[in-house]
Amino acid sequence: MKLTRREFSAGLAAGLAAPALMRSAWAQGATIKIGMCVPVTGPAAEQGLWAQNGAKLALAAVNKAGGVLGRQVELVIEDDQTTNPGIVLAFSKLAAQSDIVAFLGSIRSTQVQAMAPDVIKVGKPVMIGGTNPDLTHSGNPWLFRFRPNDNYSGRVIADFGVTTLGKKKWAIVHSTDAFGTAGGKALTEALTKLGAPPVLDQGYANQSQDFTPVVLAVKQSGADVLGTYFTFENDLGIFARQLRQLGVNIPWVGSPSVVAVSSTKLAGPALFGTYGVADFAEDSSDTAKAFGKAYRDAYKTAPDNQSAWPYDAITILSAAINKAGSTDPNKIRDAILATQKFAGAEGEYNFDKNGDGLHGYNVVKNDKGKIVYDKHIDFND
Amino acid sequence: MSASDNMIPAPAVRSKPLIIRHLPYFIGAAVLVALAAGMQFDGYILNILLQATTFSIAVFGLSVVLGLCGQINLAQAAFFGFGAYAVGLGTADLHLNFWLCLVGGCAITLVAGAVLGMSTLRLGGHYLAMVTISFQQIVTLVMINAIWLTHGPDGVANIRRPELFQSSQSYLAFCVAMLAIVGYLVWHLPDTKLGRAMRAVRDNELAAGVNGIDVFRTKVSAFGLCALLGGLAGGLFAGGFAYVSPDQFSFAESIQFLTMSLLGGVASPIGSVIGTGLLILIPEWLRFLKSVPGLYLAIYGLSVILIIRFMPDGIWGFVSDAFTRMRAHSKAPPVAGALQLKPATSGGDVVLEVTGLSKHFGGLKAVDGVDIAVKRGSVHALIGPNGSGKTTTLNVLSGLYKATSGKIVLDGTDITNMAPHQRTAAGLGRTFQNIRLFRSMTALENVEIGAERPGNTMIGKGDDALTERAMEALTFVGLGSRANELISSFSYGHQRLIEIARALASNPTLLLLDEPAAGLNSTEKLELHELLKRIAAQGLTILIIDHDMTLVSEAAQHITVLNFGRRIADGESMAVLRHPDVVSAYLGSE
Amino acid sequence: MDLVLQLLFTGIGIGAVYALVALGFVLIFRATNVVNFAQGEFSMVAAYLMVVCVELGLPYWLSFVIALAGMALLGVIFNLGVYYPLRHRTYLPVIIATIGASILLSNSVLAIYGPQPQVLQGWFDTPGIQLGPVYLDSQYLLIIGVTILLVLFNFWFFEKTLLGKKLQATSQDKEMASLLGISVSTMIMITFIYSAVLGGLAGILVAPVLFVSIQMGSTIALKAFAATIIGGFGDVAGAIVGGLALGVIETFGAAYISVPYKDGFAFLVLIAFLVFRPQGIFGERVAEKA
Repeated sequence: MKLTRREFSAGLAAGLAAPALMRSAWAQGATIKIGMCVPVTGPAAEQGLWAQNGAKLALAAVNKAGGVLGRQVELVIEDDQTTNPGIVLAFSKLAAQSDIVAFLGSIRSTQVQAMAPDVIKVGKPVMIGGTNPDLTHSGNPWLFRFRPNDNYSGRVIADFGVTTLGKKKWAIVHSTDAFGTAGGKALTEALTKLGAPPVLDQGYANQSQDFTPVVLAVKQSGADVLGTYFTFENDLGIFARQLRQLGVNIPWVGSPSVVAVSSTKLAGPALFGTYGVADFAEDSSDTAKAFGKAYRDAYKTAPDNQSAWPYDAITILSAAINKAGSTDPNKIRDAILATQKFAGAEGEYNFDKNGDGLHGYNVVKNDKGKIVYDKHIDFND
Repeated sequence: MSASDNMIPAPAVRSKPLIIRHLPYFIGAAVLVALAAGMQFDGYILNILLQATTFSIAVFGLSVVLGLCGQINLAQAAFFGFGAYAVGLGTADLHLNFWLCLVGGCAITLVAGAVLGMSTLRLGGHYLAMVTISFQQIVTLVMINAIWLTHGPDGVANIRRPELFQSSQSYLAFCVAMLAIVGYLVWHLPDTKLGRAMRAVRDNELAAGVNGIDVFRTKVSAFGLCALLGGLAGGLFAGGFAYVSPDQFSFAESIQFLTMSLLGGVASPIGSVIGTGLLILIPEWLRFLKSVPGLYLAIYGLSVILIIRFMPDGIWGFVSDAFTRMRAHSKAPPVAGALQLKPATSGGDVVLEVTGLSKHFGGLKAVDGVDIAVKRGSVHALIGPNGSGKTTTLNVLSGLYKATSGKIVLDGTDITNMAPHQRTAAGLGRTFQNIRLFRSMTALENVEIGAERPGNTMIGKGDDALTERAMEALTFVGLGSRANELISSFSYGHQRLIEIARALASNPTLLLLDEPAAGLNSTEKLELHELLKRIAAQGLTILIIDHDMTLVSEAAQHITVLNFGRRIADGESMAVLRHPDVVSAYLGSE
Repeated sequence: MDLVLQLLFTGIGIGAVYALVALGFVLIFRATNVVNFAQGEFSMVAAYLMVVCVELGLPYWLSFVIALAGMALLGVIFNLGVYYPLRHRTYLPVIIATIGASILLSNSVLAIYGPQPQVLQGWFDTPGIQLGPVYLDSQYLLIIGVTILLVLFNFWFFEKTLLGKKLQATSQDKEMASLLGISVSTMIMITFIYSAVLGGLAGILVAPVLFVSIQMGSTIALKAFAATIIGGFGDVAGAIVGGLALGVIETFGAAYISVPYKDGFAFLVLIAFLVFRPQGIFGERVAEKA
């Protein structure tokens, strides 16, 4: 027993060390390394691919412009399998490489929460796309958000629906995962503040095959406007189709997934005329347009927020390291927090003390399958 | 059978205390703990080791419930989650002490496992699979949706560790120590009374029941124990990773635990550790293939198929088999003294009194109002043509079937409504027509289970006394020298003798033999006859069912004849065999 | 009332999907006593085959034939690679091997085709018809129709044809069947082919409604598995009834009790059945004959 255990642990050590040796041999070039945890497998593998695309696009631009601190920048990617244990391992694997100076974390809030204890231990900056407000408000100094958090999406959806569309009877449909629950709560709060508390607040479980009961609940609630937080585009596509089939045609303002590329493709005409808040809208600014063009040239498809935030993250992180003049984590942190009025693809970055870079959303409209920019709503508080 | 005659009686060899025999294990474990505490790991390896260590403990649970007891559990991740949430919510929300939460979590999972087990373990394998899957799904839904309790999909963050083990490294060492301790207990479990009962239940539930094992309670214990280990592992996991969320405890994780268990080898805790380690490491090793999404998980899936295909008993089973083959044959068993049979007696003249016994299957009256009275110290035979209801009668007597009506009194105790194991405790021993031994065990272990009968007055305290009694019984039937061989290496006739030895070791008040001569050749039949004489000589009452008229007429003093479920004759042997109704029942009436 | 009718239609529609996949579970279970955890992946693979063929510009019906032929081939490979080598072992190793196969299949498709979900056009051009207050989705109508046809086909096949009777005999008693000169391994091979084709059929039919994604198989399979249990393992009619019952139960449960707990109703009903009335769905004798 003793012998076997020893042999086993020796094997384990060897097994773990082998890839590490390969890695260090391969990493002799004097590059600056940025780690990236991204779903390569699992339910969000598709989005993961876009995130990699966006990051690589920014990386190419940075390197073309001379790199960072005079060195080329290299992206080290690990698969987080779209799961929480997966990202914990992926991140700790990256963090074990001491020459990685900063990281790109996940767009999924629970994953960020899962990796957060390790982030504090590592003590290096991590750029995130998760939109749960708590992430940057719970005392972790190393998380920097490159998307507006859910407080803003809820407020923008409410503001646009109530003020611009003039609708007061709201039905809210949200997924029961962390993203949907937090979003639904934020929207409810914002609506209540505007004097239009929702008439229906309906959660659903991800990967549902059928939304008839949800649609009928919306129909019966007598709502004249629909606000949604959908996590997966598949679910959104099924819901949208059934909504139209059962004759619900009220205005619809939703979270970014409503105007995501794959939702538009999957749901087709069912999403025509809907509004979505989008942290990324191609027509919202010149920077966004430029990013859109570059992305199309490189990958032949339209970009969306999944690829825009990593693009901005790499761009701003590189600029910050250059400004800091060093790869010291604290100096990088200060430089990121000092980033103000920076025009990114997602919007204008004004970092606050919590590490939130963006404070508003674009509203875009699905105009017969084309996503068109409608307006930008920003908040100062 | 002559071997027993010239065997020199000698006391069984006393074994050294376990703690000393297993000293190398503890030294090895201590070294591992020291390594875990002392070596400088980076965060990645630390996380992998922590995950492997805690998962292994959960997989130990499966090696108990599945490997030892043969019951399936597809909800281990749910129990793992119970433990994790107990520690998570307890330390993060309620600010309770870590140890308190860990113990509380274990208690909750133990109760949950036992209750779930009690509700379904009376039913068989596939039912259990279904109920555990359902339980798993419901637990996941509650974790996600009962936000007031579990924080829902956000999960629980800021889980605390005990003051003593604040650093990750020391916490890992603590977990490795727990792994070593729990691993030791699980490793040792098969040799305890409960462990033997579990193995007996796995090998043959019916035989386990009639050998005095409470099958239901054994299964519930195994299930509760499995859940408990899951909960313990979950608690340790929560402390290690400081964050838990529902997706870590889903059905997919339960399947993963099961795969780990079967891949490593379900029979041993070493297998659990190997399986767990591999399933965590394989995807990590294959990460270099990540440029093609899905490729490395596809290879992982393929390796699962290949390992199962080429290593039927898991990796550890494969390794230990090869090891066993290389080693010489098992050591010689200790020499034993003569078997003493002292059937209990309440003083009455009749040991077994059956009155008006009936067993109906729907419209079929398999046994219909049968009376039997077996005199103390006699050999009594129950005979009848095929389909006359003999074996049904025996099964009603031993409790495998419930009597439709009638009364069975054993040595003054009414056993009509008792479960099989309770009847065994009351003093009933039996053998089966189609032999029911515990196939994965040695002859000695089989007989030990018989000797362990509750209420057996013939054994002293401790494992050594048990072994001594079992050796005596095996020697009595002439197989003492082969005690440490597996059942599969014995001939059919010898297996029958082992089954008789198993019943004798329990020192029964009445021995039921179901067609003991079936399938034996003429020499073996002769030996069996001799054996019955020697048993009867010690005053044990025997009720025998057989077709073999020579055996019955020579061995039995008293015969009861059944036909079409009714008693057609009863009395002194020779007289009964000449009874015209009996003759026509056997030869067919004109 | 309108609401009830609409819910009933969707419940039966989605239930028919579960039933189709459940049928594949049951056939394999009856023949081999093993739960095939890769059954859902059969549906997913078939849907992708269909998408590939349609993208290549082949006519819909031809793509359909090719996809099902591909599934038959997959059934053969699956039997030879996963089940056959383990046929003399207990059910557990086989279950684990099917789990391995499920991981292998889904990730192979991911590796080959990439993670983007795909759209597959339905069989009909019109999306559905409005019948009074109830909207009938044309694809669901098709699925319900196919399910009814399959029930009739299975009845005819297993009760009236020699091959069907041989399959029946094999699933009931392998020893007896081989004594009668039936090749048991051929029968099991046919069962796997048939199950793979059935699973594939379900995948192709459901793809226009649920879209084509790597996960589509596993999500339906779990429900179909529950349906199989509710209907009684090992009973073809039970799989259909179980699937439909599950679809209706969860749709109404979602509408009238709770949407987030929708997936739980099936399992609650299941546990209640198993604990309080196991013989009600199975009628199987619990005691083993001594």
